[in-house]
Amino acid sequence: MLNEPVGVLVIGAGASGAAFAWSIADIGASVLCLDQGPWMKQQDYPSNGLDWEARGMADYSPSPNVRGLSADYPVNEQDSEISPLMFNAVGGSTILWAAHFPRLTPGDFRTKTEDGVGEDWPIDYETLEPYFSLNDRMMGVSGLAGDPAYPYHEPPLPPLPLGKTGNTLASGFEKLGWHWWPSDSAILSREYEGRAACINLGPCLTGCAQGAKASTDITYWPAAQRKGVQLRTGCRVREITVRADGMADGVLYYDAEGELQEQKAEIVVLACNGIGTPRLLLNSKSRQRPDGLANSSGLVGKNLMFHPYAMVTGIFEEPLHGRRGPVGCSFWSHEFYRTDRSRGFVRGYSFEAVRGLGPAQTALWGMVHGLVPWGEDHHRAFARLYDHTATLLGITEDLADETNTVTLDPELTDAHGIPAPKITYRVSDNSRKMLAHAVERATEALRAAGAAETFAMPLVREAGWHLMGTARMGRDPRTSVVNERGQAHDVKNLFIVDGSIFVTAGGVNPTSTIQALAFYVADNIKTNLATLFDRA
Amino acid sequence: MTESPTALNDREFMDALLNVVIPPNASGSLPGAGALGLSLAVATALQADPLLGPVVEAGAQAVRKAALSQHQEGLPGMTPEAGTKLVETQLSAHPFFMMGMLRYLYPAYYQHPQVLTGIGEVPRPPFPEGFDVEATDAGLLEKLQARRRAY
Repeated sequence: MLNEPVGVLVIGAGASGAAFAWSIADIGASVLCLDQGPWMKQQDYPSNGLDWEARGMADYSPSPNVRGLSADYPVNEQDSEISPLMFNAVGGSTILWAAHFPRLTPGDFRTKTEDGVGEDWPIDYETLEPYFSLNDRMMGVSGLAGDPAYPYHEPPLPPLPLGKTGNTLASGFEKLGWHWWPSDSAILSREYEGRAACINLGPCLTGCAQGAKASTDITYWPAAQRKGVQLRTGCRVREITVRADGMADGVLYYDAEGELQEQKAEIVVLACNGIGTPRLLLNSKSRQRPDGLANSSGLVGKNLMFHPYAMVTGIFEEPLHGRRGPVGCSFWSHEFYRTDRSRGFVRGYSFEAVRGLGPAQTALWGMVHGLVPWGEDHHRAFARLYDHTATLLGITEDLADETNTVTLDPELTDAHGIPAPKITYRVSDNSRKMLAHAVERATEALRAAGAAETFAMPLVREAGWHLMGTARMGRDPRTSVVNERGQAHDVKNLFIVDGSIFVTAGGVNPTSTIQALAFYVADNIKTNLATLFDRA
Repeated sequence: MTESPTALNDREFMDALLNVVIPPNASGSLPGAGALGLSLAVATALQADPLLGPVVEAGAQAVRKAALSQHQEGLPGMTPEAGTKLVETQLSAHPFFMMGMLRYLYPAYYQHPQVLTGIGEVPRPPFPEGFDVEATDAGLLEKLQARRRAY
């Protein structure tokens, strides 16, 4: 079925698609967004029930392979050391994210110049700064101005309370004289723009029933729809269609009833994340483009970057009330963020202080580490752990490597018969050294904070939240997929605004930067409409 | 005792097994997992898990068979100590049995209102009341800001 053509067609209603759609609506053209998932309802989130932890491992698991919902597509991760995580709904992965909201730092945009590794971005932090600030206001960011690890910026809301866990961990950093700073958090410390303040539910990672955590279904989408943006849910795009002159002219997608639909558009924008975007490009192949669309560089799907995570948990004598409060938003540290070659690796990592676990997760974590047995000693062992743990995550900078890839699985498909993505990923030696360093330093910090014992997980497999680099940005069409404006080198009316276009990963969560980039791309389209398709 | 074709569906056996895995605590403030009637929920979850379900079923069948060979009433008729020892003897042949069981038993147990009360939590969901959280230590922030340097 052929639908009414639109001016701008956005694929994906998550972090980047929502921000982009809200912004691009200013041009006055019709804007349509297709998303394979549904609208979520806050009353359905697990924190409304006693089974909130169990549901976090089932229908609200961050892994699409565990959830297996109709909105999900399977991901072959058998050849990857890190499991990719995502959520498919209006709001995308911001439904389940921690809302820890650091920006990439200025140095992250010029790693080649600073350290001789990776590539420099064709844009810099200063270019993105106005977009970071606008996005902070739209999402509702709480934080403390003045972090010396960043150029000065003022979050619109005061910081979230650290709680006893954060205070305890921060005291360790303070004793060591290490950098730490209350996190910028996309969670409301006060009522803001009609949204209620955080009431410390704890399970942010299964959706915020309070609506205090910024997921784009409750931040950007209501505002975008007021501007006239249309959003169709339950629509899974199969491929981008292309005219004889090489320009994109729309997509073929399956609607909520499974019917194949055709949607024409003047501009097509991909916001499907670092796995979904290359999957769609690779599946948009034809006789003229056997390697997929926008892939003359051969780099679509290559250079996949995660953030390899190390996790060290300390056990404390005092109760920490740790399950209360935003689990991933407390403070961060950039003490080991920049290159110091005496450490044996280039680039660095940040620490993210994490609050404690709920009772079921405590028992399971204790089981994995051999600390909570079954049988007679169970209750004594559990009581020693529960409410007595705090964790530091080391988020390491992954360097791009062409052998880390997203390809199309030759056999596995989704419910519509579209090839599933296959992930091939190895943690580099540089990252392994960084992870080992992070474990040592986190252990030191936890001990300084008073931990009686520590337990390390040197590489967390279930931590592939951050999907980057698979359609990277650059000026040279031979070494990049999109130009410095997010425009595909090969297809001038095709834009990409998600984490795929990252050139480097930094050592911090990417969503703030992803959304700033989406704004930046939208602004460039808005201000260059007359000559948009003339550019190389 | 009537033997159900699957051990996971044998309610009496499963109640006894869960009481061995998580027995009541000494004070009685925390009940045994079997006494809470979690068998059905755990069995249902396991039977829906294509990886762990068969593994746990096999282990549970082995435990049930061994128990019946030792006691005419099987595991439900055995003392806690004897039941524990018997389960332990089966673990070498079924190394993932207990891990698979705990994957579903712990979440079921630690969401039960009686258990939440017993561990000092309020027996309610997080939403809508939420929780109070300790404020940021102002002294720590002062120290932090006093030693600012560039990174």
